[in-house]
Order: sequence, then C-alpha cells, then structure tokens
Amino acid sequence: MIDWIVKCLKESSADAWEITDRKITGWEFYFIGHRLDQNRARDVENIGVKVYRKFDSFLGSAGTDIPVTASKEEVKEKIELLLEEAVLVRNPVYELNFPKNTETEKNTLPDLGTIAKDYIEVMKSIDETEGEYINSCELFAESHKVRYMNSNGIDVTSCYPSSLAEVVVNARNEAHEIELYRMYKSGTCDREYLKREIEETMRFGKDRLHTEKTPNLGSFDVVFSTDASLQLYEFFISRMSTNMIYRQFSDWQIGKPVAEFSGKDRLTIMARKSLPNSSKNCAFDAEGAPVRDLVVIEDGVARNYTGPRQYGQYLGLEDTFIPGNFEVKGGSESEEDLRKGSFIEVVEFSDFQTDEITGNIAGEIRLAYLHENGTVRAVSGGSVSGTMFDFAKTMRFSNTQKQYDNRIVPAVTRLCGVTVTGA
Amino acid sequence: MKAKFSEYLNGIAPFMKKLISDLSGHYDYVSVLCTDTTGFSVSISQKSKAVGNSTMFTERGNVVRVYKDGLYSEYAFDHFAEDTLCETIRETLDRQLRLLKATGTEVYHTGKLSDEPCTVFAEMETEILPENADLSALVDELSSISDEAVKTGENVVECMVRGSSTHVSKMFLTANRDMRQSYVYSEGMVIPIVMKDGKNELSTAGVSGRKGPEIFRELRNRLKDTVKTANEVLNADAIEPGEYEIITSPEVTGLIAHEAFGHGVEMDMFVKNRALGAEYINKRVGSDLVTMHEGALCAEEVSSYAFDDEGNPASDTVEIDHGILRTGICDALSALRLGTKPTGNGKRQAFDHKVYTRMTNTVFETGTDSVEDMIASVKHGYLLAGMKSGMEDPKHWGIQCIIERGYEIKEGKLTGKVCAPIVMTGYVPDLLNSVSMAGTDSRVFGNGACGKGHKEWVKVSDGGPYLKAKARLG
Repeated sequence: MIDWIVKCLKESSADAWEITDRKITGWEFYFIGHRLDQNRARDVENIGVKVYRKFDSFLGSAGTDIPVTASKEEVKEKIELLLEEAVLVRNPVYELNFPKNTETEKNTLPDLGTIAKDYIEVMKSIDETEGEYINSCELFAESHKVRYMNSNGIDVTSCYPSSLAEVVVNARNEAHEIELYRMYKSGTCDREYLKREIEETMRFGKDRLHTEKTPNLGSFDVVFSTDASLQLYEFFISRMSTNMIYRQFSDWQIGKPVAEFSGKDRLTIMARKSLPNSSKNCAFDAEGAPVRDLVVIEDGVARNYTGPRQYGQYLGLEDTFIPGNFEVKGGSESEEDLRKGSFIEVVEFSDFQTDEITGNIAGEIRLAYLHENGTVRAVSGGSVSGTMFDFAKTMRFSNTQKQYDNRIVPAVTRLCGVTVTGA
Repeated sequence: MKAKFSEYLNGIAPFMKKLISDLSGHYDYVSVLCTDTTGFSVSISQKSKAVGNSTMFTERGNVVRVYKDGLYSEYAFDHFAEDTLCETIRETLDRQLRLLKATGTEVYHTGKLSDEPCTVFAEMETEILPENADLSALVDELSSISDEAVKTGENVVECMVRGSSTHVSKMFLTANRDMRQSYVYSEGMVIPIVMKDGKNELSTAGVSGRKGPEIFRELRNRLKDTVKTANEVLNADAIEPGEYEIITSPEVTGLIAHEAFGHGVEMDMFVKNRALGAEYINKRVGSDLVTMHEGALCAEEVSSYAFDDEGNPASDTVEIDHGILRTGICDALSALRLGTKPTGNGKRQAFDHKVYTRMTNTVFETGTDSVEDMIASVKHGYLLAGMKSGMEDPKHWGIQCIIERGYEIKEGKLTGKVCAPIVMTGYVPDLLNSVSMAGTDSRVFGNGACGKGHKEWVKVSDGGPYLKAKARLG
C-alpha cells in the first residue's frame, strides 16, 4: 500500500508530500473489581497523507487518511482530490524537513503479553481493605510502529510501547462511599510505581470520607503535589510553542524573562529526547524531525521555541521540532519548606484546567488538606481560580521531581494568592 | 438528498456474513460492526489555513464481538486477509485467554445477547453531502468571516473559523441481523481572539446538527455577538465567590444536563457501582420543573442515529420526569447484567474502541416562563452564558461547570457588570431542586466531543431552555 501511495505521489503534480504510517497492535483488559469484564485485541493501521502545491508565492496543502483497505484506484482518486484542494488555502511558503544524520534506532516491537501480564499482576497485588478497594480498572498495552516519509527523502521508522491503566479506587464507611479516578500512562508497566501510586490513592480515598466543607478562603496559597501540577507547567511549555508565538497568542521573546519572577527560583524547562519509560519516546516528531534535548526556558528566560516547523520557519527558525517529552527542573526549596505556614494542598480535583491563551486556572476541589493555625483538616467542595500570569511571578517549586509519563516536573508546587471559593 | 450508504461496506458484507458463520462454529454469539466514515474539515485563521478530507471521527474498520463461557471478547481490525482472518481472530483471543488463565483471572459471567431478527436500511436526508460540498466556496466564506472579524471587530487580533462535515456509514451484522445506516452531521465554530493591554481572551459560538455543509451559512450570523462577548470577557471582573440566584442560558442548561444527570445515569456505571443514581430510581432529584430526555431520537443533532454500535434501535428516554429520576440509559451488555433493556446508547469512540453506555442528545424540557420574568425575579444573581467545560462525579454527585461569563442582576435588572470566568460547583440534587423557573424556548448544541473519564471521545449534544436556579459561583 505504502509503495503504491509513494508511486502515485511521485507521479502527481504535488510539489511536496508526506506520509505517516502508524501501525498499532494492542491488548486490552477491562475489569469490574478483579473480575474480567471483557478482553479485546486491536490490529490497525492508519495512513496519513498530505500534499503541498506552490502557487503565486504561496504554499497550499491538504491532508487525508487513506484507509489501508483502499483500492489502488481509490488511492489515486484521493490524491487527485487532495491536489485540487491544496490550492484552496494560501499559506506563506515553508519547506518540509530534510534528512539528517541521526542515530540508528533499534526497531524492536514490544511484547504485549508481557506488558499486559505485568499490569494484571500489579492490580492483583494491591493491598485492599474492607474500606478501600479497587472498583474497576482498564488496562491497555500497545505496540506502535511509526514510519514517516516525505518528498525531501526522509524515511524513518520508530517502534515503541505505550500503555495505560485507568483505575477507579473506592472508599466507603457506614455513611457513604466515594471514588477516586486515576489514569497512569507510560511506555511499559512500571510495577513498583503503579502499586505505590494506587496505594497512595487509597489513602486519599480514606481521608475523603471524613472531609469538612472547604471554607471560603479568599486569596490563599495552594500547594499542588499530584498530576494537576502538569497543567501549571503546560502553560509555560505551550506559550513557548512556535504555533502560539507566530499566531501572537504568546508574546514571550527569546532572551527575555517569561514572567517577573520575584521568588527564590526561576523556571528551567528542557525538551527531552527521551525519558525513562515514557510513552512518547519516538525518535522523530510528527514532521520527521529528529527530537533532541533542548533548553526551552532557562532560569526564567525564554531560550528556544519548539513546535511545528511551519510556524518555526515563519519565525525565521530552521531547526524547530515538536518534543514528545519535557522536564521542568526542581528549585532550591525542600517539600517541607513549601508546606510551611497556612496553605491548602489539593490532591484531588474534578478536572483541573489551565487555559494556555488566557492563563486562567480553574478546578473543583474533591479532596484537599487545609493547613491553618497549626492544624490540618481534610476538606472538599468549592474551587480554585485565578490566572497564571499572576501566579507565575511568585510560584515556588520543590527541589524534588516527579515523573508523569512524558513529563518530569517538580514534585511540589506552591502558588500564592489563589482565589479559593468555599463549598 | 439521501446520505448514500457506503459501497465499500456493501462490498464486504458477504465476506463478513461468512466470517460470522465461520466464527459461530467456535463461539455462542458473534457480531460484526463495520464502519466507513468520510468527511472534510476546513480551518481558517489569519495566520494559517488548512483543508483536510478527514475529521476527528473519519475511519474505516471493523470489530468482531464473540461470546463464550460467559465472557465477551472483541477483535478490531482494518486490514485483513479473507482466508486467514477467522483463524487470526481465534488465535489472538486464545492467547489472551491463556494469559488470563496463567494469572488466575476470574471472569465476570454475563448472559448471552439475544439475536432477534432485525433488518434496517436507513439513509437519512441531508441537503448537501460532504462529498459534494464546494470546498472552494467554503474556504472563501470562512476566510471572509475571519477577515471581517479582524477588520471590524473591536480589539480582535485573530479569528479562527472552523467547519467539518462527517458522513457516517455503519453496518451491524449477526447471524440474524443486517442493519445498515448512513447519515451526515456537521459542526462549525467561530472563535474571535481579542487583546488589550497584553491580555488575551476569546469567545466561541458554534453551529451543529444532523445536517450537511449547508449549516455553515449560519456561521457569519454568529460573528457580531461573539466578538461582543469576547470583549465583555476581556473587560470582565472577577466574581465575588458565593451562592447566587442564577439564570442559565440554553448552552449552560445543556452543560448542566450533560454533567448532572447525563453521566450520572449511564448504566454501565450502575454495573460497577460507580453511580449514586442507581439508589435514586423513582426518587426525587429535582424540582417539578425538571424533566430531562436523553436519546438519539430526542433531537436531530450530531448524535442522532437509527441504531447504536451494538445493533440496538435508537430511543427517546425520559430520565427525569417532573423531578423524579425514572431510569438511566443502557448499553446491551450492561442491560443483560442489570436485567433491563438496552436503550440504544451503546457507543464507541471508533471501531477499534470498546462500547460504553454513552449519551447522545441530552435535553431539559421547556417550561412556561419568559427570560424577562426570570430576570425580574432575581434579587442578586447572574445570568450565566457560554460554556467552557464541565466534569461529572456520578458517585458523589458533585458538579463542576466552567462558564464563560456571568451578567450581574440586581433587584430584577441587569446591571451591565460582567464577571468571567465563572466556576460553578455544587451538589447535583441541590442544584436541580432549586430550579424554580423554566423558559419556553429550547436550543440544543452539538459542538465538540464528550469523554468518559478522560478518554473515549464521542459526539453528543445537549441543551434546553433558560432555567432559574441557585448555585455556588467562584
């Protein structure tokens, strides 16, 4: 199929083209409690094709997915249609990536049975009690084989594992029952990490049974120590994207501070070629560019934009790429330092969100620990809100780090002056 | 014009029927769902333009469901060799069963699905098919809307305008069923971005429906108001947190319907003991003014089909009747486990994803009140408009709605003050029991996609009339 698509593209009037062929095999196991609800297997292939045409000093493009079962005639028709559609849009001219000397990657497909077995065994090994238990879980083990080709001669292939455990933990007492929801994504199954995380979630569940209503705290310090932290740092990562810069959604300039930091530490963010057991350890990005380590923000100063090549070129940058992994460096303060004084540590949100354009943060509190006047109370309800543009100036982050799949971030982050609405 | 059913699916139907027959020698129940969904998307902004012959939901592939010894198993595939497929499916699923045996895994025993004979062939009406759309004219029109926004809109620095149209063909086959349907849905959005004093804000307005690309004609009419609301948000104040009287616009009403008792009565959650709703059937959960429908037949929107992904016919389910929770919605396997009937709500994100109980169109019924009377009745509160996002908590009945903006009302009058964004939180029965007025006009919205937890994205719509209630805002 791929050979035929390449032949059609080469014989067409396309000025440039690219193909992404993604083959995924997957094993899935769904559990209700510890009993198997359903088992599933997937064997699918997705072929994306994009053609480019130059005209009147513009570049047009159009893309489509070609079904792997398409006939030869159907492929030709789809490409001809793309060529017609490509001239409908007028974008400034840019070049696709060219081949680069990169390390040869071992293209070994992971064993799905091994990954799945690890997950099933971890879930069986969780220490449950009468009060805290696994309600249900869904386990996904996938093998990805991605091939990227373009008209400039790139033809690269990468194989990597991707897995996911969706776990629902319940906690109950005589009065009521609550649940906590978690999604753990990674390359393969990290048995120790998963067990540790689920057992911590069970402790949170137990505490949530005995919460008071969150009081109206007004402007208050909020500590983040779970995966909600990712949203805080995603704000900085996304605003350093070529896409955001070119479209003027972000005005952060290279060589200038991204915020008026007044705290002890300033942010350093690195793009990482790979991270241990990340599900995004692909050797190249969606446009065929090799991924590499790169400083994005250093001591609070913008150093390098990352993101799509199209916008990179419009900004006069030749070497941008779309990183799959990022690391946010730790600060100088310990976790204990960050947990001093009065603050609320929210460990469970309904759905914590940061808007990368407006900077607004918002989330309903499902479980938090309110540290006030030397006491600690478990609370729930109410919400946090405010804007990262304000919080960035005084944010504090720990010298310890924690990995969440394709992101490493400070284990504990403290924002000052967050609006905390009571329940 | 009828949305023509896929020739490709018609072509593979004989082989799929043979596959079902071959697999039936090894399993007690076999079904196949085959999909061939095409479409286009156009995305226009001042800085970049894109056209593609795919949408978030275009696909071509198949999934086989088999049943044996109390266990349902599935195998999803797109490419296949006719002579070896049956064996490949058996071998792959047998390898999984060996792993399950090796790990001592117990099966959640489920009964066998019935396979009553049923034949459906539905090609739904559409004015224009996506494949016949004049994309050149559409690109020009969307570009013109974006240009107009930037040229004439106050503080507008960018305006994204998007349109996508999807032509769904699905075929569900068993030994006794042959069900085929084809329909088109479309959605478009206009998103002006405004900037002042280094601060960015945006607002969105959409059009959607079980319609063809003709729906994009309505987009330009949404521009002026959306630019106005973007500027209102740009100049908005932060709200003083507290409990207020609220009036929800139809969009916010829809968000409440979706998050409050949409997810809360998906009955696969009953099977897992994940929904408090199971304990409240035939009990009061809202005021007399609260009647809520859910189903592919209760609106002509983006999730209005003839049958679901398990071959069950679409329905219109009254979930809440004058404040009393009557029933939930159910996929086929959950119905077997709960001893009830499926409601035609078994949906997959794509052919290679599992079926879950999912919402289709979730709508509050209208009442008899005017918006003017509602505003006049508010001592101190907000008219809430524009939807950002929401999150459910079916086990605890918490609700989180992030709302674009709130217009302050004092002593029965809009003061002109706007607050944004608004985080509305609370306990679902408290919120629904506080509904004291309901408007006469209803609107339904179908832009975007809905996840279950944080994955499994499907098309849904929701809406209803203006409602007056009480809620905690922050």
